[in-house]
Amino acid sequence: MIRFDQVTKRYASGHEAVHDLSFELAAGEMAFITGHSGAGKSTMLKLIGLIERPTRGHVTVNGQNLHGLRRGRIPELRRGIGMVFQDHRLLMDRSVYDNVALPLIIAGQSREEIARRVRAALDKVGLLERERAEPVTLSTGEQQRVGIARAIVAKPSVLIADEPTGNLDPQLSAEIMQLFADFQQVGTTVLVASHDLPLVKRMGKRVLVLNQGRLLDDWRPGGG
Amino acid sequence: MFAKKPTGNRLKVQASPPRAAERATPRTRLGFSSWRDQHLYSLFSSLGRLLAKPWATALTALVMGLALALPLLFLILLDNARGLSGGWQDAREITVFLKPDAPVDAARQLAEALRKRSDVAAVKQITPEQGLEEFRQMSGFADALAVLQFNPLPQVLVVTPQELRGSDDPAVLAELRQQPSVDLVQYDAAWRRRLGAILGLSQRSVLVLAGLLAMATLLVVGNTVRMDIQSRAEEIAVMQLIGASPGFVRRPFLYTGIWYGLFSGAFALIVVFGVQWALSHPVNQLLESYDHRFALRGLEPLAALAVPVLSAVLGWLGAMLATARHLAEAHPD
Repeated sequence: MIRFDQVTKRYASGHEAVHDLSFELAAGEMAFITGHSGAGKSTMLKLIGLIERPTRGHVTVNGQNLHGLRRGRIPELRRGIGMVFQDHRLLMDRSVYDNVALPLIIAGQSREEIARRVRAALDKVGLLERERAEPVTLSTGEQQRVGIARAIVAKPSVLIADEPTGNLDPQLSAEIMQLFADFQQVGTTVLVASHDLPLVKRMGKRVLVLNQGRLLDDWRPGGG
Repeated sequence: MFAKKPTGNRLKVQASPPRAAERATPRTRLGFSSWRDQHLYSLFSSLGRLLAKPWATALTALVMGLALALPLLFLILLDNARGLSGGWQDAREITVFLKPDAPVDAARQLAEALRKRSDVAAVKQITPEQGLEEFRQMSGFADALAVLQFNPLPQVLVVTPQELRGSDDPAVLAELRQQPSVDLVQYDAAWRRRLGAILGLSQRSVLVLAGLLAMATLLVVGNTVRMDIQSRAEEIAVMQLIGASPGFVRRPFLYTGIWYGLFSGAFALIVVFGVQWALSHPVNQLLESYDHRFALRGLEPLAALAVPVLSAVLGWLGAMLATARHLAEAHPD
């Protein structure tokens, strides 16, 4: 569950990336954020993972108000959130398996549990056969799928993705988006930022449209 | 809320949708096995990283090892110098040479008188005949002594005073000097004191040097870890983004420091044992001239064991300093 209450984020430069933004995404709901580049999509996602703190207003994730969250508790918050990045941010000097295992190692899981879950996650994204491969030997789409496997391997309740299909062709983009939809199916709250409006519309999910840091539209399927 | 069952058969991540409350944070194993697994992970990943660039690692360890070996060698040298001088330091004997014309009885009487004193531990009388016999037994002197027409040696008393506290000369010394039958009293206290002071100064110098070199190794490790942190900034950022605690991010760097410390400690031992081995032959030749009254003292096994332990602590400390400063610098939240 994600809730924004009148959230404003102004950077030190004076640029206001997000202005008085309020919305709620129920647990298990999926939504897209779209808008032009610079509309505030990335900032919104950063506020959820406390990569940035809001200048005003409150962000609540899984019932936890992030406003008073001490710095020392941030790692714990992030372990409950799966993050997917446009440039996937894999560790290039480690195998696919080791990349996906990282969140579980951080969480202190046993080796057997790690092996089981990593294989399950890689199987889910269709890369089980590539677990020993170096990320550089994979295609861009495959790298992004490793990034997604890493994001979901610890079974986070919230999954956020920043332009996950930014570098992919339409066919691969659709496959990736379908993966996110699948995670929603199993109860994960999913929030995906994307400027690929045609693709977003085809997914038939809720769409938050941002413009210059303000919420321009909150479109829900069926409800219009 | 989550009544919807997974529909796609691709959903193998979990068999059934768990409730949100259960999944708020990933289930974390507490206790020893989790702790051990995480440490083993850091231990071996840091070792693997070091061995992946063997030359750079070896170079750093060599520099540190030499810096550690140097004070160790000085300490061993000093220890041996102490051992050599220890025999002299302990020797409290006062050698009393009587006048050549003093009768044998005079020596015996003086010895008797001295033995009665409470501040004298022992008195040994050496007659001229015994003295001559001693000289004869020392190699090279027998031929020279055969030439002598008469025994030129005086009566000698070797007086061992009771152990003294402080550095004052024993009282018996002054009295012996005033005895009319006494020709010469030999007591090398001043010289011994000077030697003691020199050894004390040397020891202090070596300790200061060891301190400085330990600081140098600390800086070497710190700087190496700092560069390591900089070259892995992206990895650190990713770790932090996916929820690694500061301790988890720091740990492999601390292990890196410990590995550098262990490698350099091992190298320092190799250097020390190498130098000991290289010097053992000439040193033994020198010691032969001392009739083997002294033996070369090398590094004791326990001290040898302490070297890698101490160097590992140094490495850890250097890494600790570097991470405390540069991890916070690299990625403020």
